[in-house]
Amino acid sequence: MNRPLGRAVLGSLALVGVAAGLWLAFTSSPDAFQQDYVRIMYVHVPGSWLAFLAFGVTALGSLGWLVSKRMFFDRVAEASAEVGVLFTAVSLFTGMLWGYPVWGTFWDWGDPRMASTALMFFVYLGYLALRRAVSDPVARARRSAILGIVAVVQVPLVYFSVTLWRSLHQGMTVRPDGIAMDGSMVAALLVNISAFTVLYAYLMVERVRLAGLESETAVIETELAGRSVSKPNLEGLS
Amino acid sequence: MSRFWIQAWTIARRDLLVEGRSRETVAVVVPFATAAVFVVPFATDALDVRLATIAFPVYWLVGLLFGMQVALRQTAVESLAQRRQLALLGTDPVARFTGRVASAAVLILVVLVVTAPLIFLFYDPDPIARPWPMTGVLVLFAAGMAMLSTLAGDITTGLATRTSLAPLLVVPVSVPLLLGAAQSLESLVRGRTTLPWVLTLVVTDLALALTGVMTARSLEESNT
Repeated sequence: MNRPLGRAVLGSLALVGVAAGLWLAFTSSPDAFQQDYVRIMYVHVPGSWLAFLAFGVTALGSLGWLVSKRMFFDRVAEASAEVGVLFTAVSLFTGMLWGYPVWGTFWDWGDPRMASTALMFFVYLGYLALRRAVSDPVARARRSAILGIVAVVQVPLVYFSVTLWRSLHQGMTVRPDGIAMDGSMVAALLVNISAFTVLYAYLMVERVRLAGLESETAVIETELAGRSVSKPNLEGLS
Repeated sequence: MSRFWIQAWTIARRDLLVEGRSRETVAVVVPFATAAVFVVPFATDALDVRLATIAFPVYWLVGLLFGMQVALRQTAVESLAQRRQLALLGTDPVARFTGRVASAAVLILVVLVVTAPLIFLFYDPDPIARPWPMTGVLVLFAAGMAMLSTLAGDITTGLATRTSLAPLLVVPVSVPLLLGAAQSLESLVRGRTTLPWVLTLVVTDLALALTGVMTARSLEESNT
């Protein structure tokens, strides 16, 4: 997806999809108990899903680099971690916005999903900080690959936290025995999840491309050994 | 004793000998931790706040922060030449990790053991009904903190921002250790079973040990 036309198509799809998803979010029926506050869910759930997906892709990219040593995988891991941190922040922020009117508080320490998501956010901030601290590309790729694989352990912990521990957070809505939601709400949710996933794909393509350009620039800016050697001044010696 | 354990023992012994000469933990970190235990009540209104209620949280927080400081102490940092020499001598990276973790765990235990009586002296918390199981909890906590901090230290070796970056990597991941240790102590004080929380500590320690073993070779390549 390096061709400008492909990127433009993907970007347009993401834009149209997110616009359609938000329109559905504002026009779908309100919840019997949560009223209009349920509309926050149409951004919150895709944000959480994409955080999981992004950190999973980071781990796969890290594994890919360790196995093949191809820098492309390192760029994928980096891009996905950055986008994942963005979507985790979206998920946390919208969760807090929803929590205040529905639970009566922005933050509840008794909820393991909230606490574990915040921890995951900090771990990946550490991952990004580590990347910025190492200047050598190979050392950076190796160190962050190890952290990228170790850190992904949190994703299943965050996902299953609502079933593993007692939680204020609602349980799984989509279960093997059915979906505990109204049809119009499910449609709006699925459109938003799909649209935000396309947005994730677009952001990934752009960020991976940018990372490639950054590494090319780094090579160009590296001073060649010969440049530091100047011609000896032999004037007046003959 | 197999070659692996001889190497691990040698590395641990070297780290403890260096500590014996420099006394960074005993002469710097432990007094600092003691001062922290003493200073916290000044951050509360000691007339209104019952210090006993914050005694154990303060203890574990001091254990976490100063334990991390012990594992990441300056005198335990291996230079590039030392790391290369160990690699060229054929030292097993896993044995090196084991040795460094063992020495760090011993020193973290020193911090925990020294600060425990101070907590009882200054904060007057409820007595622990069964003190002996607490020894096991302290060992599991110290081992976990040592493994986690050693891993973070190895990942950030040679970086200019190591002293601030390594704690950023350690603190969020240390939560299962903190939770397991703190809840075990609470359970002991209340006379409840500690089993689920001790299991949390054991599982976390095993996961960290597995991570250390699996990443030791890659980290050695990265740092030499």
